[in-house]
Amino acid sequence: MVSAKLHESLIAVALLALLLGVGAGPARAHKEAHTAEQLKAFEDVFMEQVKIGDLLFHGDPGTQKSLGVQLSKTGMACAMCHPYTSDTHPYQFPKFQEQMNAFATLRDMINWCIEKPNEGEKIDANSDAMKALEAYIYWSNRNSKLEPGVH
Amino acid sequence: MSDREHLRREMDRVLRAPGERPDGSISLTRRTFLHKSLLQGAAGAAAYGLFPTLSMIDLAFAQGGQGFRFAWVSDTHLYPKNLNTRFVEKATRAFKDVQAMSPPPDFLIFGGDLGQLGDPVELQLGADLLQEIKVKKVFIPGEHDWYLDMGATWNRMFGKAPWTFDHKGVRIVGLDTVSHAEDFWTSRKMTAKERMGHMATLDGTLGGAWAAVGAEQLKWLNTALNDWPKDKPVLVFSHNPLYEYYPPWNFWVRDWREVNETLKPFANVTNIHGHVHQPLYNEIGKLRSIGMLATSWPWPYAPEGVPVLTRAMIRVDPGEPFDGVGWGLLTTSANARTDAEYKMWRKEVFATTQVDSGTGDNDNQILSPRIADRI
Repeated sequence: MVSAKLHESLIAVALLALLLGVGAGPARAHKEAHTAEQLKAFEDVFMEQVKIGDLLFHGDPGTQKSLGVQLSKTGMACAMCHPYTSDTHPYQFPKFQEQMNAFATLRDMINWCIEKPNEGEKIDANSDAMKALEAYIYWSNRNSKLEPGVH
Repeated sequence: MSDREHLRREMDRVLRAPGERPDGSISLTRRTFLHKSLLQGAAGAAAYGLFPTLSMIDLAFAQGGQGFRFAWVSDTHLYPKNLNTRFVEKATRAFKDVQAMSPPPDFLIFGGDLGQLGDPVELQLGADLLQEIKVKKVFIPGEHDWYLDMGATWNRMFGKAPWTFDHKGVRIVGLDTVSHAEDFWTSRKMTAKERMGHMATLDGTLGGAWAAVGAEQLKWLNTALNDWPKDKPVLVFSHNPLYEYYPPWNFWVRDWREVNETLKPFANVTNIHGHVHQPLYNEIGKLRSIGMLATSWPWPYAPEGVPVLTRAMIRVDPGEPFDGVGWGLLTTSANARTDAEYKMWRKEVFATTQVDSGTGDNDNQILSPRIADRI
């Protein structure tokens, strides 16, 4: 129910963005001064993704279903180990990630968590679900400072 | 200054007056040593490089008491077996460890959050697993046990809290700190499952500051302690800590001021609590407070408010289900000491360097409350 509402409002924001020229493509980008309405529309597009990511992060079944993902098969959700996204430290990526024995991005780490502790199905690294999860995690940590590579 | 900072300063002002601290006859030490099952060869754990350990906190009780041991298990967060067996395996391991103790503990305290979503199937599964334990068992509820049917199944199966009994010179109290959430569900026409879902989300918004002792129970606590000598030890079990640590996750009780007023006359008060899924130690006024492990999964330390007296748990491996979890063994000895042991299934319990500390990145971890559940 909640995710359906979000999708409706996301469509509305997208339409608004089109009207304001947000989606007019690279040919028009930065050719004119931005209006307050445009900036608000940009923010709205971002915050809608944050909300979808929040729902995914907290295991909302409707949002998972609508995006065609299964982030856990055992009832787990990302937020069970990471309330407020704590200890995800997105500001440290990319970095060497011990669990993978590899140089990894935040998206790699999200997928590792989905597969291992959450026992879910890995998602496409460029999928809408991944972008929404990334948006929520970054937004939640937005006041932390960048520390790429820090373990 | 943030609201939380105001609160924290108030708590210091109210609870940490000059010279105000737990009785000097109570001393605290910690030690970590290998559990005997390691010496006997714990093949599964060794394969992961993890070892069962006991870590111990020593508290001294007033002279005249007799020694005794009891075990604490909490936060098993069981799902129905057909959905998730991982938490069942860990709870089973803890219960077997407790039962294997020789000599056996005097009793087991189960500190709440037996089930994940208050489902009678989950609570029955927990009751079945607890059959492993043959010694006396006492129970206090967690919020995960409560908000599907407002405690009806829990109370029927495990009895109502609060309760009190005396054991070898110690007055022991079990509190209910979970049943006092303000009603956010009726006006939103929520189903019982929806209400439970919000309450089961640690960083949820709608549950608000649900953790409390409540006026009625405070009155009961006053009565329960009324005839107890002020210099004799009191042990208080609660699901939530009885001081302010991190209110957004209910790592507190909202009426900590009133709780402190009630406990203040007593020189030797120790509170053992669950909910936080992490080692914690604090002294506030005359109250000593010890946070215990979960068997299910470790919570990260809150981004702020970790008591300065707490030695942080080591960072754990999220890929290893048995890492960072366990149970607790508490021993009060006749020579006026009580040991509280973190029985974590790994070699090192506490961090020795910042990079390995569970609070290691708190100097650069500025988090925001979630937004998608504000309906």
